[in-house]
Amino acid sequence: MLSIYKVSYKNLLRKKTRSILTIIGVGLSAWVLASLMGFNQGYEASLNRDIDNMGFQVLVTAKGCPYEAATLMLKGGTGLRYMKESITNLVLVNPEVDKVTPMLMHAVFDPNKGESGGMSAYLGVDPETFPKMKSFLEFKQGKWFTDSKALEVVMGYEAAELEQREAGDILLIPDKNIELKVVGILKRTGTQDDGTIFVPIHALQKLFGKTGELTGLGIKVKKDANIAKFEEKLYELPDVQVVSLAQVKQTIMNLVSTAKVMVFSIAMIAILIAMVGVINTILMSVFERFQEIGILKSIGAMPWDIFKLIWIETFILCILGGIAGTGMTFGLSKTTEFLIRKLLPYTPTGSLIKLDFNLIAMTMLTVLIIGLVSGIYPAWKAARVRPLESIRSELN
Amino acid sequence: MKNMIRIAGFSLLILMAATTALYAAVGCDLNDPDKDVARLFPGSTGYKTLYLSIDKKGGDALLKEIEKRLGDKFQGLFETADVPYTVYEVLKDKEKIGYIHGVNQKGQYGGIQVFLALDLNGIIKSFYFQKLTSKAAKELRDPAFGKQFENLNLSDFYKYDVVSAKAITPGKVESVKNPAPDAEADFKAAIRATKKNLILMDEFAFQNKYLSEFHPK
Repeated sequence: MLSIYKVSYKNLLRKKTRSILTIIGVGLSAWVLASLMGFNQGYEASLNRDIDNMGFQVLVTAKGCPYEAATLMLKGGTGLRYMKESITNLVLVNPEVDKVTPMLMHAVFDPNKGESGGMSAYLGVDPETFPKMKSFLEFKQGKWFTDSKALEVVMGYEAAELEQREAGDILLIPDKNIELKVVGILKRTGTQDDGTIFVPIHALQKLFGKTGELTGLGIKVKKDANIAKFEEKLYELPDVQVVSLAQVKQTIMNLVSTAKVMVFSIAMIAILIAMVGVINTILMSVFERFQEIGILKSIGAMPWDIFKLIWIETFILCILGGIAGTGMTFGLSKTTEFLIRKLLPYTPTGSLIKLDFNLIAMTMLTVLIIGLVSGIYPAWKAARVRPLESIRSELN
Repeated sequence: MKNMIRIAGFSLLILMAATTALYAAVGCDLNDPDKDVARLFPGSTGYKTLYLSIDKKGGDALLKEIEKRLGDKFQGLFETADVPYTVYEVLKDKEKIGYIHGVNQKGQYGGIQVFLALDLNGIIKSFYFQKLTSKAAKELRDPAFGKQFENLNLSDFYKYDVVSAKAITPGKVESVKNPAPDAEADFKAAIRATKKNLILMDEFAFQNKYLSEFHPK
């Protein structure tokens, strides 16, 4: 004997193309919804990880000094300002401070880069403190320098690739003809570190006549410290600017939230379209089976039986659409991520779309609720069919 | 109906595969293609860009064949089969008039990027160090040095051993003079890069036109 579920399923098979198109519509909506929710979770997690990977939460630089290599390159190596190394001690006295690491950025003009020359940048770091703060950095070859005065370099993967250097090779500082020994090549990180050439800070200070000077001081704050209050204290130091990575994160999140609202609106429209699609499909099927429903009723089917029959059809369409959407979410997550990276002005490294069981369960539930709500009107319409009227309409 | 499902499934698979692998090796592109192409190929009006790699073109077998023709193994962390190469197909109006192609090469003190402008027969029209980290950079980047490579082709380089930097049989490459004897390593690197560049172009653009002239030692 046929169960009510089998009858509903067979009804859907009678118009295969229409059913498949409806499932695709529901699937697309589920895909957009799940990807958006995954993006919501993934973007923030990746941004947090990127900020953690910087190793420090607060960066102190001399007033007006660009604090990252990209800006420095854009400015053609100019605009660097220096602060005294003694600032390290002034910062260290604060109880909020866990660790500090001094840095010196220096750029030199390389006349043999391109047709009219280009810039090469070096980051002087302290071998005592910097590797501890950036403990996530791994080596492809070699290791960190151990002496802050050694004429050695550690190269980010892309910097090493451009210079075709390996551990043990010599790297020449252009225009100065200074030879440095490559002691380590870092593995790729997907961050700015990939393009950086790290030099022991005191060696770099000596090579470029910047003894006792820094361009930045990275500060790792203790876990329970009040960062906002600590920043205020730092501003009391003379001629420094404080870059809080918490502020940077907030600014980026504010920018991204605008994009999220837009995408969420699109998702809502997609869901509405899917809802209308489901209503249309089921309603069409009800109209086509007007007489058939009448006959069912005349042989004893109650309105609730008809309601259930139609409602189950909606349920099957939505559950299949939800499964298809979930599959697409997983299968197309890389493509979706690629598109998001193209669209957004800044995207952190790592996975932008975080998919987990809760998210999929949530998507399936949403799709089912939407589907069942969409099915109420067609099912109600079918349940109200009067047997005599429907049979008479067939005769007419 | 079945066809429709097949088409939909196939499109989905293509979409899923569309995202290319992250962290591929870095290739060698012109810094400013619009200006550089016009400078290296006077009279050109445009260019098309093709992206190729040994991996995609023929994998390990091709790598071995290229090494054989070069007379040296690909070395180190960065000279690998997955390096993407950018070939600039140079156009005059709609007509193809030549190619520009660059390769990375390990020098004594840093990376070297050698670009060659080639005519449609694979003959060098001009030679350009886009990047050169060397103590003798000034001498090697002097136009007089690059001029020595003009009108040479891969046949000429087959007669030259890039490992020993000596001629296998007398030929034109032998007469290319090193302007800075102290920078012998970088001079050798420049010759090796040029030969590698010509072999790759023979594979990528000239349908192995010069393969028949290759006779292993």
